[in-house]
Amino acid sequence: MSHSTPPDCEPNSTSTLPEQPGVLVVRKHHFLVRWSHWLNVPILLGLILSGISIYWASPIYQHKPDPNTGNVDVAADIGIWICAHVPGLHHYSSPPDWVYNQFSLGPGMLAVALRLHWLCAYAFMLNGATYIAGLIAGGGWRGLLPRRTDLRDAFRMLRYYIGFPLAKLTRHRWQHPCFNTKYNALQRTAYFSVPITGFLSAVTGWVIHKPMQFHSLAAIFGGFDAARVWHFWLMWVFILFVVPHVILVFADGWDTFRGMITGWSARVTRAEATGNEQ
Amino acid sequence: MNNNTRGFFVERPLPRFEVDPKVLCRRTRRDVLVFGAGAVAALASARSVLPHAIRIDDEVAEALYSPHRAVPTYTKSQITPLRNNYNGATPDPSYIPGWHLTLDGLASGVSVALDIRSLTTRFSIHEQITRLVCVEGWSAIAWWAGVRFDDLLGAYPPVSQAKWARVESSVNLDISGNPDPYYVSLDVATARHPQTLLATHFNGQPLPVEHGAPLRLLAPVKLGLKNVKAITRLTYVAEEPRDYWAERGYSHYDGI
Repeated sequence: MSHSTPPDCEPNSTSTLPEQPGVLVVRKHHFLVRWSHWLNVPILLGLILSGISIYWASPIYQHKPDPNTGNVDVAADIGIWICAHVPGLHHYSSPPDWVYNQFSLGPGMLAVALRLHWLCAYAFMLNGATYIAGLIAGGGWRGLLPRRTDLRDAFRMLRYYIGFPLAKLTRHRWQHPCFNTKYNALQRTAYFSVPITGFLSAVTGWVIHKPMQFHSLAAIFGGFDAARVWHFWLMWVFILFVVPHVILVFADGWDTFRGMITGWSARVTRAEATGNEQ
Repeated sequence: MNNNTRGFFVERPLPRFEVDPKVLCRRTRRDVLVFGAGAVAALASARSVLPHAIRIDDEVAEALYSPHRAVPTYTKSQITPLRNNYNGATPDPSYIPGWHLTLDGLASGVSVALDIRSLTTRFSIHEQITRLVCVEGWSAIAWWAGVRFDDLLGAYPPVSQAKWARVESSVNLDISGNPDPYYVSLDVATARHPQTLLATHFNGQPLPVEHGAPLRLLAPVKLGLKNVKAITRLTYVAEEPRDYWAERGYSHYDGI
């Protein structure tokens, strides 16, 4: 990421400088990449909400029935704990359902959840194929490949992110590590891992959905029950990716956000533009 | 970086060019509007597309089925407990002595009633240890024995145009213990699968009442909910018959 300020996009600034040569832009994302990126928002939301409703019907993480409530579901325990400890939730009508009411279509919605999950799953696979097509057509796949220097550079980025709030508070300068690649090592690792996560989610999903027709595939993941565990934790990879992804895009600013809509980024310096690669 | 080497896998510099700031603004505005319009159009069309799209999976499941693909079988050491999953109450075993299986929709045009003795003496008994998978996500490996559905179809051929079987249990109860006949649709292709049994034995013993004595469907290529316990009637029909769980929002082919 370079540090140049993106040129102002307001009409005023352009009208005061009628002779300015123009804005330098780079073409960052192929349009198929951009469309599939945004389509992932409703698709993943649908998959996760319906997926947690499906989880409710037969939770992976269970314990011996609680002597008082008969509850076996760890997710229900979490809801009970939250309702007991979070102010304002003490009178919540059904604490065991709290998690499912917040993060799924709700308890007892298995039939609808399954239908929605499958529909979203087909959309997700199509969308994934579109994304890969866009990566190939636009050559963007090269920017995602891991490098030998990634581990060291990832640590530099982590150090930067961790030190950033403290530096801001103490008003120290805190220099963003400099890279002349499209992504820094952390981004690259994330953007490389997510399509793999998507692929594994789809494969484990098929294994769970059609355990008889795809039983040889199930064996790769350790069988039907193990595939359910894989599928569950692959969801968490998405969640753990999306949260910092959204925060960092907002922190990084408008140019990055606009880049995923228009495909163009104006964050490029004149020096780089002369063609002298470092 | 080693951009100069330009290997096939090496990242290329992004194509850069100069544009009028107005062009950048206009392009941004246009694309934001196009993406927004796309989202609105998708939402608007959802209402008409969704009812069909939501059923795609039934067709996919049917296309995936192959009469020649066997489900995995297990050893006795891999057997796991199978819970009694009668949705409501387990029926009173008093129905068992007078039980018989009625066959309708046969090529002969007459209705046939078979008791359990005539079934087990007439057809050879097959054993299998297979996994039963519930729509809820849990599963169990169990040891079954019974007659092949295909053998029954051979001995009592259905009407020629029959593509479906209605599999019914009249002894099923609802949660409050009231009679609640259970019925599912089963495609005849699945009924002909060599591992589709009309099971009479569970874990080496005659079926107990909680697992559908004296005869239950065991179609391991289908979800557990198609594996009707205590079958009382089989009816062969040309069009897909009603299905208990499909009427409650679930899919109706349920091939796994």
